Amino acid sequence: MLYLLIIFFPTAMAAGLFLLRAQNMPSISGGMLAVIVQIALVLQLPVDAPVRLLGLTLTIDPLGRLVMLTILGVALFSYVVTFFIAHGENFVPVSLLIIGITNATVLLMQEPFVASLLMVSSGLLAILAIVDLPIGSTVLVERSPLITALHYLVLVLLSGFAMYMAYVLLTIYWPTEQNGQGSPAHLIMALLIVGFGMRLAIFPFQSWLIEVTEYSAPMVSVLIITALNSTGLLFLIATFQFFPVIVSENAHGMRMLLYLGAATMILASLFGLASPHLRRTPSYLIVANSGLMLFGVASASSTGLAGAIFEMFNQMIAVLIIFVSIALLERPDGRPVVTIRRDLLWRWPLAGSGFIGGLLLLLGMPPFSSFTSKLLIYNAAARISPTFVVLLGVGSLLMLAAIARLLYERLLGAAEELPTEEMPILLATQEIERFSDRRLLSEPVGLSVVLFILLGVCCVIGLYPQILLTMIDDVIRGLTFVRTAS
Amino acid sequence: MAEFFNTQWPLIGISLSAGLILLAQQWRTTLIGLFFNYLFVAAFLAQPQFIKPDLTLLGMAISTTVLVKLIAGFSAVLILAVTALTFSREYDADALDEFSLAELRRAARRAQRKQLVAPLRFADFVVPIWALILAAIASFILPRLYPIGSEEVDFAWYWLTLTGIFTIVTANDLLKLGLGLLVCVSSIDLLYTAIASTVQVFPLAMLGLTTIVLSLSVSYLSGLMYGRLKTLELNELYKR
Repeated sequence: MLYLLIIFFPTAMAAGLFLLRAQNMPSISGGMLAVIVQIALVLQLPVDAPVRLLGLTLTIDPLGRLVMLTILGVALFSYVVTFFIAHGENFVPVSLLIIGITNATVLLMQEPFVASLLMVSSGLLAILAIVDLPIGSTVLVERSPLITALHYLVLVLLSGFAMYMAYVLLTIYWPTEQNGQGSPAHLIMALLIVGFGMRLAIFPFQSWLIEVTEYSAPMVSVLIITALNSTGLLFLIATFQFFPVIVSENAHGMRMLLYLGAATMILASLFGLASPHLRRTPSYLIVANSGLMLFGVASASSTGLAGAIFEMFNQMIAVLIIFVSIALLERPDGRPVVTIRRDLLWRWPLAGSGFIGGLLLLLGMPPFSSFTSKLLIYNAAARISPTFVVLLGVGSLLMLAAIARLLYERLLGAAEELPTEEMPILLATQEIERFSDRRLLSEPVGLSVVLFILLGVCCVIGLYPQILLTMIDDVIRGLTFVRTAS
Repeated sequence: MAEFFNTQWPLIGISLSAGLILLAQQWRTTLIGLFFNYLFVAAFLAQPQFIKPDLTLLGMAISTTVLVKLIAGFSAVLILAVTALTFSREYDADALDEFSLAELRRAARRAQRKQLVAPLRFADFVVPIWALILAAIASFILPRLYPIGSEEVDFAWYWLTLTGIFTIVTANDLLKLGLGLLVCVSSIDLLYTAIASTVQVFPLAMLGLTTIVLSLSVSYLSGLMYGRLKTLELNELYKR
């Protein structure tokens, strides 16, 4: 019953809130209430106690529960943010539907066929959020969000197709050179690389993430990256766990995954360095970080995996902080839309500081918690080969350079002088010729305080990482493929 | 030869209908292709070596699984057909500002002009024909390199996958792109049902649901795009 409630309660609430979507306050409050109830339900779930339902096995381990709680926490915070920042008309119902499907995916990790199709469904729902317009909008849907939604649709489907095909092949798997036929292990690995590569935005499939972050509302990006991508990483670990033969029969494939992770980190950081843009650069850095996490998982070692899982939580919080800060930094300040703003830190000091904090958290700067997770992945890399340490080191340096350039170009520029005195209206001056007034809104202090509390929590976890690492280590100890590989 | 046609008619039907989806440019033809594709896939899977019938309907012995697949497939065709017939998500003219209204009028004029000056040209078929030839060659070679099920099953799913992917690649409008995606989903559905030792109900139900949700997503995006550009052609979407 509890499992069914966790899956269907958000769906029922989404249906109800869809009717209230045009009314901002009740819609967001309802969404927050639904998420709080959902958190209470997840806390009631018995850990490692499988249940059979309609021929399916539903179960949850401590890691899955923590992922679900983090996603719900992120969703709750996103709803709080939507009180202050413009958002799509259908954001709350669509996000609740996505949460329901994500929960189902986490609960059904033991059923790879169903989980892969659920991931496709959640991706298809995300399309509705990408093309969503704000309540009472007087403009048409832009071409860019339409193109983004279209690309995302195709990639989500092809990713699900590749994953599903890999699982079909796994059901009929035969060992090497049985019956005179080569094992399909390499084909399965290739399909998994394509499927999860598209889902996690690994190079060369990263373009969708850049488009989504650039053209959709910031909270939609947060939802897609935290809920969908994190579930994807968890699903990849579950796949290796349930089918350890993929790891044991694919030494070359796993090696290729390691190189792919390192290459993603370096190339994405380079792209980020090349284009200092308020939205594009952080999204390239997120892609780079995904490459690092993939490297941790592909190392199939306990330290690498612990680092990857730890980093997944750090990334979720970093993404939330970065995109909330972006939403606050992008608020109108009286300058024309086309103006390139270079003094954002001086104009919006709280949001600017939050943005810098989020980027440093993503980078793994001490004392943030991501420093520990990155250190663990570096440790795993050192055990495999010093080459990988060099590659990851280059990636991290490029990430740092990309952040430094972005801050220099967009945040730390000389503050523009505010107009000192209003000019008198001259004779024959038309309304269109007058400069618009500088309307500098005050920063939402409460929201900024929450951002800094999140950064503070990451600092505390960074100083005392054992809080999380003990739980992660317990989970990893039970993973078969780590033992097989080592 | 006659025996081949008598036994393999569902496979021939799958090949022709998927080929039609890849080649045809008009939505009426491609949707008819999709309709027959679902019909022939169901007929292919209804063969006793794959699924045994467990239901009698109108005097015909049929499997519930095949029936569910047919219903899901026809629902997808119906959703897309209704979309193609009505298309628009019309904007409320009173709610739009003057720039948006002007842009809508411009898009409508451009779409009308395009319809008047765009006759059917042979050049439009060159790439799809070559893609079809390539898909045919690959569908004969791949089952020998990577055999998964029986010869017929391998040919069918490779053919559907390749024609689906080539349809996505060569699609010039959003509806056709959606059809390519649906053909890809149909291919994994066929493969899973044909080779799984025990066909589980839930994955099949999820596949059916994915088919319907996918067609709804394509339909929603088509509505948005038509409302904005008054056409479903992808090159109009990419124009700056």
